Amino acid sequence: MDKVRRSLLIGGASSLAAPILPAFAAPLKYNLKAQRIANNSYVVIGKTEDYSPDNGGDIVNVAFIDTSDGVVLIDTGSSRRYGEALKQLIYATTGKDVIRVYNTHFHPDHCLGNQLFDKKKIAALPKTISGLKASGEDFSSNLYRILGDWMRGTEVIVPEKVINYSSEKFGKHRFEMLPFKGHTDADLAILDHETGVLYAGDICFLDRAATTPHADLESWHKSLKEIKKIPHKIIFPGHGPADTTSRSIEQTDSYLTWLETNLTKSARSGKDMLEAAKMSIPEKFQSIDVIQLEIERSVAHLYPGIEEKTLPFLGQGDG
Amino acid sequence: MIKLYTKSNVSKIAQLSCKLSCAAIVAIAFSAATLKINSSIAAETDIKSSNLSSLPKDSLNSVMWDFVATEFLLSDKSSKKIVMNNQILVHAPKVAEDQLNLPIHVDARSVKNVQKIVVIADLNPIPKVLTYEPKQAEARLSFRIKVGQATPVRAAVLDKDGVWHVGGTFVDASGGGCSQPAVAYGNDDWVKRLAEIRGKIWRTPGQKSAKLRFSVRHPMDTGLADGIPAFFVEKLEFKGANDKLIGNLIIHEPISENPTVTLFPILKEATTAVRIKGRDNEGNLIDVAVPAPVQSSALQN
Ligand SMILES: [Zn+2]
Repeated sequence: MDKVRRSLLIGGASSLAAPILPAFAAPLKYNLKAQRIANNSYVVIGKTEDYSPDNGGDIVNVAFIDTSDGVVLIDTGSSRRYGEALKQLIYATTGKDVIRVYNTHFHPDHCLGNQLFDKKKIAALPKTISGLKASGEDFSSNLYRILGDWMRGTEVIVPEKVINYSSEKFGKHRFEMLPFKGHTDADLAILDHETGVLYAGDICFLDRAATTPHADLESWHKSLKEIKKIPHKIIFPGHGPADTTSRSIEQTDSYLTWLETNLTKSARSGKDMLEAAKMSIPEKFQSIDVIQLEIERSVAHLYPGIEEKTLPFLGQGDG
Repeated sequence: MIKLYTKSNVSKIAQLSCKLSCAAIVAIAFSAATLKINSSIAAETDIKSSNLSSLPKDSLNSVMWDFVATEFLLSDKSSKKIVMNNQILVHAPKVAEDQLNLPIHVDARSVKNVQKIVVIADLNPIPKVLTYEPKQAEARLSFRIKVGQATPVRAAVLDKDGVWHVGGTFVDASGGGCSQPAVAYGNDDWVKRLAEIRGKIWRTPGQKSAKLRFSVRHPMDTGLADGIPAFFVEKLEFKGANDKLIGNLIIHEPISENPTVTLFPILKEATTAVRIKGRDNEGNLIDVAVPAPVQSSALQN
């Protein structure tokens, strides 16, 4: 995108409508497409990119299941506008209304489209709800800054339905609630027993580097180990394509292991954060999208903690 | 440490935990204080206008340059002149992923007879980050800072002729939506672990300097958030064998919580430890010895 357009987007709606620039007058529009991955089951696959004014935050996976009771939706996207496009797509595909929404975790790409749905029907784990209450506004203002007009009218809507049950059934589909953690404090995976699709949220990434701003790597590895034991036909990761071979589990697990091992090695050799960010990416990870960027970010998130574990304790100050 | 265990301090620290976990709040506090600084510029300008006319043009085009130069550089009694010098290297990420933990490396080895290095983040409400006086050490160091917004980060290096050599870089501070910093504090063992010191020295054969990396567990509170007074480590002194001074480091509020610093001391072969002595602004003392390994590559790691 050229500079002029970028500044217009960030500058807001009025400049976009200016008649001198007819090429930019068209409203921003997400081009969402539903793909069927199992019986009654559709996914909308986001770009495996970072947020940008080009993609408008269409960088996340969402899924919906067409049951005889109504539509069950998993995650709602990055903005009000995304939620709108999603709602239209769902109606065009199923002809039904949404009766249940799940937010897999509190990251903004997964729940800032909530506005379009009845908040009493939006369900999430308790810590997802408290996390979104605490950080939602900061997330949203960050996204306004990055995405500009794509975010117009977006408000943080906190889910009102607390997930304190182990499963619920809509039509023939029994959805098992699988509370994990590690990517954040509360990561919900959902298994549809009718189809065998395991909606993994951001516990699994595929061919898109995992993000770690709220990660606890030890818990994350544990969760991946658990998820591996759950019988399923397809894993639908939070980012990246649907996975029929469990590759998303392996890849996320080995990427995080590699990342931590490298950072620990760097800390042991006395590298500072800037030096630690310079790591050579092994062949097997080179095709993973935005890996360089996510490594740099992960160093910011993880290195202080790793250094604290690595640097020898010498003593404590005294008054 | 006695003062730190009082009730009021404990609650202060608890409060602080919440504030520090939220970059946005820091940013608000920062911008409010920037206003104060702007009004103080007006007052300064009259007094020091003669100096201002001779300032070199700022290579980073900062609106704060006149203020920064007058307030922090020309005010130094040994200061004679300021030159822009692109050999002064300030390394930082282009974008701060975590506004509370922006890593910086300053390398001023190109300047001869460095007396001190002053690091300044222009648009921080408290712009001055640190002053380092390397004695038996190379003129370079790494550390992490808090930034309230996009800002120039510069290093001004004073040589023994009173010339300030100034270099720097610009850091953008708009993080991603997923880039909120993790909650660093808020756990119960916080007070117990205050002023914990960690560190290690690495020596590599054939290298002029050793590497000393250390951290001090400390909130480094800016005093800008409501009702929380400034509370930060302010001075650290480093000594090698026979009490020979390696350097002095005066750090200010913008240094990240749990200050983590790399210095490059030039150690005699027989040096067995580097002693770090210092205090925070509430008078808590730090005094610790970092063992220096025997000079051998076998002892790496
Ligand atoms: Zn996420």
